[in-house]
Amino acid sequence: MEENNLVTVEFFGLYRLAYKKACVKVEAKNIEELFQKLYEMDDVHTPKELRNSIVLLNGKNIMELRKFKTKLKPNDNVVIMSPASGG
Amino acid sequence: MATKYGAYAGKVMYVDLTTKTYKEYPVNDNDRKLFIGGKVLAARIIHDFVKGPMDPFSPENPIVITTCPLNGTPCPSSARFNVSTISPLTNLLTSSNCGGSFGAQLKKAGLDALIIVGKSEDFIYLDVSEDGIEFKDAEFLRGLTTGAAQELLPKKAGKFVIGPAGENLVKYACVVSDERAAGRGGVGAVFGSKNLKGVIADGKSMAPRYDQDKLTKLVRKWTKDITAHPLTGSQLPKLGTAGLLSTMQQKNLLATKNFKEGQYEGFRDICGEELAEKYLIKNKGCRSCPIQCGRVVEVNGKQVKGPEVEIMGLMGANILNNDLQKIIQWNYELDELGMDTISASGTIAFAMELNEKGIWDSGLEFGKIDNISQVIDDIAYRCGEVADQLANGSRWLSEKYGGKDFCMNAKGMELSAYQPRAAVGQGLGYAVSNRGGCHLNGGYLVVLEGLGLSIDQYTPFGKAALTVMFQDVMESVSAGGNCLFTTYAFFPPFLLNKPNWWLTRLVNKVFPYLGPVIGVANKHSKALKVNISSMLPQPLGITHATGIKMTMGSMMALGARGYNLERLINLRLGLDPKTDTLPKRLSKVLQDPDNKKSKVPIEKMVKQYYKARGWNKDGTIKKRTLKYFNILDLDDISKRPLEEQGERNIIPPKPKKDKKPKAAKKDAPDKAKSANADAKPTNAAPKKPLTEEEKQKRIEEALARKKAKEQANAEKKE
Ligand code: SF4
Repeated sequence: MEENNLVTVEFFGLYRLAYKKACVKVEAKNIEELFQKLYEMDDVHTPKELRNSIVLLNGKNIMELRKFKTKLKPNDNVVIMSPASGG
Repeated sequence: MATKYGAYAGKVMYVDLTTKTYKEYPVNDNDRKLFIGGKVLAARIIHDFVKGPMDPFSPENPIVITTCPLNGTPCPSSARFNVSTISPLTNLLTSSNCGGSFGAQLKKAGLDALIIVGKSEDFIYLDVSEDGIEFKDAEFLRGLTTGAAQELLPKKAGKFVIGPAGENLVKYACVVSDERAAGRGGVGAVFGSKNLKGVIADGKSMAPRYDQDKLTKLVRKWTKDITAHPLTGSQLPKLGTAGLLSTMQQKNLLATKNFKEGQYEGFRDICGEELAEKYLIKNKGCRSCPIQCGRVVEVNGKQVKGPEVEIMGLMGANILNNDLQKIIQWNYELDELGMDTISASGTIAFAMELNEKGIWDSGLEFGKIDNISQVIDDIAYRCGEVADQLANGSRWLSEKYGGKDFCMNAKGMELSAYQPRAAVGQGLGYAVSNRGGCHLNGGYLVVLEGLGLSIDQYTPFGKAALTVMFQDVMESVSAGGNCLFTTYAFFPPFLLNKPNWWLTRLVNKVFPYLGPVIGVANKHSKALKVNISSMLPQPLGITHATGIKMTMGSMMALGARGYNLERLINLRLGLDPKTDTLPKRLSKVLQDPDNKKSKVPIEKMVKQYYKARGWNKDGTIKKRTLKYFNILDLDDISKRPLEEQGERNIIPPKPKKDKKPKAAKKDAPDKAKSANADAKPTNAAPKKPLTEEEKQKRIEEALARKKAKEQANAEKKE
């Protein structure tokens, strides 16, 4: 039986305002698939646009892991933040 | 004293509160050209007054309020004026800038700056107009909060007042104009020590600008660039500075439990997104600003200014509180009582740790929030023994009770909410900043180290030269009158919009290695005779407004001139360069035991910084540095004769072609309107003035409150 890869996705920054929610549960094998699923769910940002976000997997930036091919495990925590902060 | 430059009123006034007299102070065009305005011109003036260590509460301590050439012009975000004095918190020079309406009004009243010395026998406020300066009785304002006091003062005037905290000499009391505060360093207490409730200014004459046509053209492009930039056009208007908090959390930068840690598990409840979704009513900001980063929220049914990221971090994660409603409430109370939110919060966190360690029982505990409002109120009135001590700031407490290693201050000023062990460049900035532990005066390198860009947070490499550059840029931008947020144009949008792009990642990687090149540019800045208006439009703004030719290089030299001059004044005041350091918790203890780099190697970085600044190894300034920046052997301005400075040479605006007025666009953004708010009269309905009855009620309420406090104080003493 295929493993249930349910991960928690949290939005921060302008993305949270755009998605109008703080958190969502998504089933995805890797970040690329996660982006696609988010787009199908909410139609807010395309997968291409999401490639410009800051993505942290369990606190670690995916650019230091396997970038968008980074694999996901059940109960992983994914943070998606809009790129610019400043203040 | 007239001036040949545009945008200056051409007059600086010296007021002696002891004798209740005033006279002109002979600042001349050479001073204007070299020191421009704001904190840099203030340092030039204060240099005349400081001959050695000075008691901040002595009548001799000058308060210097300086406007800037861009105040009152339509340049975006250009309402920031400055107040400088010797700080009771640090005993060093402090300068604090403020975005309220007072700056532009002071200029309209005919003054570029106001120097206030002496001490009034009675409680007064100053009324500045084109007709002169009046010393007016302020007894009816005594004890009033900053909001109530401003409501009772004439409606039209620009106002700048202290609250009860300033009157009671709380060492971190601030001065407030509208809802904006000149917050840091205890300027409000110096007002209080002079028996001065505030200053109001009102006038009609605005000095003409040197080249109005070019200025208008620049303003159009500049405003467009600001509104198109990801930080100033989107992030700040939508989330305010509060939007930083979640980034700080993710990057280990959120000061938690008196800076013990860099992340707080309750951060979701106190972040900027939460503020925007649950509490934000609308945006608000300083005059002439298209960014409008201020938040309007509700407290007790009243719409008030919302919290900035600093208090959200310091009264949230740093004291282990995740009640945002309470932070909003305390922020409002601190503003109304007239206290710096950063120093008040930092002092409270330190007291909590002293209590936790069993050193001093103040009743304050991490995570316990039900007594904070009361403590804030008591501090403002120095009511009771505990509050009376808290009112002196954290360094004072550490000298009395111990705990210096975890007393989060630099030179006596409490640190802002950015954890420096995960941003070592910011750590250096805190340590060497002229006004003490200030994130902005320290160069605000945390923007490169995680908030905007993502350069290596933990390497000290190149950070000294970068700190010098950013300190100088911010110093000069302040002198011109712009908000520091306008410096974000420095970062091309792609660096912020595309953090994962190979080019952005490359820039982040190589940025620290630019340090040595930037170091050379810092030291020879005058040679950089170019202007790139999309990166740094401020020098062009000053050029078109005043006729003083500025370039990026002369702008950096202006910043360095200011920074070195402030250091010089501090050395005269008795600054010990050994205090260019951080508490041991930050420099000796690892934030993350698994990361050997997670502390600030402060000794090494300070040495690099001295070198990058052109200072001696002992932290004093080399003569040749002073000479290069034209501040060696400055004369005493007060000893000069008053003389005419020459004719104005202003380029008159071209006559406008008759155009049919365009119908206003229905959905034109508010931002565009506010960008020119200063330039055009508005049709907004004026606020209803208070009736005599209402005024009387306010006064009675304030007096009753004061009496109750005095009674409580007496009871506590018993
Ligand atoms: S960005 Fe914010 S602080 Fe700066 S001028 Fe605008 S409203 Fe004021």
